[in-house]
Amino acid sequence: MDTANSHEHGAGHDDDHGESHGHGDHPKFLAHHFDTPLQQFDTAKLGMWLFLAQELLFFAGLFVAYGIYRNWYPDAFSWSSHQLDPIMGAINTVVLLFSSLTAALAVRSSQLGQKSKTSMWLVLTIICAFIFLVVKYFEYEHKFESGLLPGGHFHPHHLHVVRAMHGAAAAGIPDHSGTFFGIYFMMTGVHGLHVLIGIGVMIWILIRNNRGEFSAQYFTPVELVALYWHLVDLIWIYLFPLLYLID
Amino acid sequence: MSHEAHDKIDDGGVHPHIAPVKMYIAIFLGLIFFTVVTVAVGFVHLGPLNLLVAIVIATIKAALVVIFFMHLKDDAKFNALVFVGSLLFAGVFLVYTMNDTGHRGQIDPEQGVEVLPSTGEFAPGGPARPARSVAAEGHEGEPVTADVVLPEHAPQAH
Amino acid sequence: MSTEAEATLPTSDHTGHGTGTSYLDASSGLRNWLITLDHKRIGIMYLISVLLAFAAGGIFALLVRIELLSPGRTIMGAATYNQVFTLHGAIMVFLFIIPSVPAALGNFFLPIMLGAKDVAFPRLNLLSFYIYVVGAVMALASMVIGSVDTGWTFYTPYSSNSVVGSQNAVIWMTGAVFTLGFSSILTGVNFIATVHKMRAPGQTWRRLPLFIWAAYATSVIQVLATPVLAITLALLLMERAFGLGIFDPRIGGDPVLFQHFFWFYSHPAVYIMILPGMGVVSEIIATFSKREIFGYMFVAMSSVGLALVGFLVWGHHMFVSGQSEYATMVFSALTFLVAIPSGVKIFNWLGTLYGGAISLESPMLYGLAFIVLFSIGGLTGLFHATLSTGIFLHDTYFVVAHFHYVMVGGTVFAFFGGLHYWWPKMTGKMYEEGLAKWGFALFFIGFNMTFLTQFVLGSRGMPRRYYDYLPQFTGLHQFSSTGAFIIGIGILLIFVNLTRSLISGKKAPRNPWRSAGYEWMTPTPPPLENFKEVPVITRGPYDYHLATEAELSEN
Repeated sequence: MDTANSHEHGAGHDDDHGESHGHGDHPKFLAHHFDTPLQQFDTAKLGMWLFLAQELLFFAGLFVAYGIYRNWYPDAFSWSSHQLDPIMGAINTVVLLFSSLTAALAVRSSQLGQKSKTSMWLVLTIICAFIFLVVKYFEYEHKFESGLLPGGHFHPHHLHVVRAMHGAAAAGIPDHSGTFFGIYFMMTGVHGLHVLIGIGVMIWILIRNNRGEFSAQYFTPVELVALYWHLVDLIWIYLFPLLYLID
Repeated sequence: MSHEAHDKIDDGGVHPHIAPVKMYIAIFLGLIFFTVVTVAVGFVHLGPLNLLVAIVIATIKAALVVIFFMHLKDDAKFNALVFVGSLLFAGVFLVYTMNDTGHRGQIDPEQGVEVLPSTGEFAPGGPARPARSVAAEGHEGEPVTADVVLPEHAPQAH
Repeated sequence: MSTEAEATLPTSDHTGHGTGTSYLDASSGLRNWLITLDHKRIGIMYLISVLLAFAAGGIFALLVRIELLSPGRTIMGAATYNQVFTLHGAIMVFLFIIPSVPAALGNFFLPIMLGAKDVAFPRLNLLSFYIYVVGAVMALASMVIGSVDTGWTFYTPYSSNSVVGSQNAVIWMTGAVFTLGFSSILTGVNFIATVHKMRAPGQTWRRLPLFIWAAYATSVIQVLATPVLAITLALLLMERAFGLGIFDPRIGGDPVLFQHFFWFYSHPAVYIMILPGMGVVSEIIATFSKREIFGYMFVAMSSVGLALVGFLVWGHHMFVSGQSEYATMVFSALTFLVAIPSGVKIFNWLGTLYGGAISLESPMLYGLAFIVLFSIGGLTGLFHATLSTGIFLHDTYFVVAHFHYVMVGGTVFAFFGGLHYWWPKMTGKMYEEGLAKWGFALFFIGFNMTFLTQFVLGSRGMPRRYYDYLPQFTGLHQFSSTGAFIIGIGILLIFVNLTRSLISGKKAPRNPWRSAGYEWMTPTPPPLENFKEVPVITRGPYDYHLATEAELSEN
């Protein structure tokens, strides 16, 4: 076969499909290798769900470590958990839940093609994400000051009891409390990193929205970033009781 | 390329199901309600039930987010399978690993031999277990708790 | 496809331009290659990269075998030896085998076999390639800084507080593997979405080529297992940097936990390595037997089955780690399940060969070698799954021989088989068949000399990862090393042959093997959008009785 002589049969390479779309009505946002906007949208969403699946497995490692050490060192986990401030944690939970709501509403607005409303909801989501990080910053600062650090660096001092302790937890600082803080910093740190990445991506989507790239026909990126953001929220829904509210 | 989620209209365009704002607000309020419940329960002394309650409430909240905020309700079934499947594999990871870490150094009934977790040596005939805290004392087959096995625990050699 | 033969066969009598041009001629210049979104070019770039990695890993393998020519120090000390076998393992596993078939051959052929114009996410595809490059550079950096000596498994506490060698090398190498993992994940995400959403009209799940089924199963593992490796290495890095206390026994951590985390990824990763190879072999066996694959659905489902069962057996790497006896028993029992889908495949390939019109061109030789060598590798795996023998053979050369039979006898033979099989389609050039057969023969003979010997060594008690050994092992070790050099010569011959074909090879016809596979229906080399028109699939990829004369002809 002489490749130099091979040529395309005109522009009709979509004609074999049930729905006929020539190049003529190939919208600008539709990539060349897709036939319909619906195919592109569904593919993108499947890709995002697969990505979220890998995110879940990524966090799963941390949850497994948490489960094992909580099983091994229940006293240390109980004592350490009482050093965390559940009020701060609860505030952050509400902030993240609210940001999830605004993210969902951003998607809804973009589905309806309401550009300025979409921007507003996105901005609100980003603000919530920042509030979350600020609260987290104060919590971290308190841990650093009190020497509540991971593993080998654990040297507690200046403790002020945030939550009343009872049982073994009240008896004194149990061994291996440093392990709890190792896991605490990994879990909240990796989660915080996801929040930070989420902020970056949402700012990018916000800019694209303001440029008018999205419409009721094409809102895929808004939908995808919202899916990601809901996952970040989802992880926190578990982190909050597991870290802050151990009996 | 068939999509049960996008029924009726089949012109290749994207026609999402648009939920009312009220629904989103209702879900949000539900999430807040469960957050209050979980904090409240956190201050009540429930013992081991504490973990169970926390997990159950968190799972209800997570389900609300996934089903309504992430639209899994109206989405392609395969996307739901991806999500649930990944949780299943995370579960395999957790359960199998804890099947090991919860049962280290326990009796091998076939041989009538017990490993002494403190020394890693064989104890023929399965003598009394080495001293351990009362709280950690359990009958045969109970998980060996932390303070026996784990201080300075090298991997427990057999 | 038979009724649409005109649509898919190159008729080359239309005027026009654009997508009809071969992907190689579509644009030129290095820059156009480096920023390409075309899955075929990305596949070629992957191919070049993994072959470079293969060469590097091979050199380290030869260094290992030279050191083992005599007891005691031959050319290097014990510490250097540790570094050399670590680099051999890490490079071969993470830089070569894992991306070899899926990312190089898979990238090129997956969309073509589906009748798609590209993968679902072309930008992500290019990104995944560059993440691979960054990972490779980090791995190189670790070698410059001083070498890792932990073994490719990075077991704690060697990796968390090594005092020998360079501390930072571990950080760079684990960082490299962490990075390479994301490249693998993105490829997996891309392939799954592509298989689900980009199939040509008429391309039903029952008409998918078995290579696609294998690549699909592989992608599932890549998406579900690789992130666990990432978090494991992240924990390891943090352990080193901040003393988290998760893996460090001095502060209450558990080094065995690292093995759980690592093998939760790395055992399924064994199937990331072998499954695509099985897919290639299925294609080769069908083409060179000119026969429908016997029990098509069984072969397809056994790929998915292997992928799922692969997640349940990781603890068989830890029988002597101090893991609980309960876990050990469960993992041992489950490990035997792996034999079922593997056996199904072997049985069905043999069933396909039976009564087929077999022709022994070089790709077929690799295919047949795969069946033999993988059977040996697979069956010796059962020795390890059985607790009584497994504990005796643990960490001996028997294990080394076993996994080389699977990884090299399986995956690498399939990779080279696939390379020879698809080379004409990818490059548009034919290699010299005689030289290819010589290359194969040397590879095959050398391989068996090297590793059959190691089964004997291992069963006699030679432990793995030692640079020294007792004098009675000298003869066997020397025989094994001789085999390794024969492999080296064979591989060199293969490279020379393939490279020469690029310069002076004959122009390849459209369908040199007269295969009924979809990928052979497009011109050679394929045009930019793979097919001149979107193909409509009307028959299975192995339906020789339905394929037309025109489709099965060379041109």
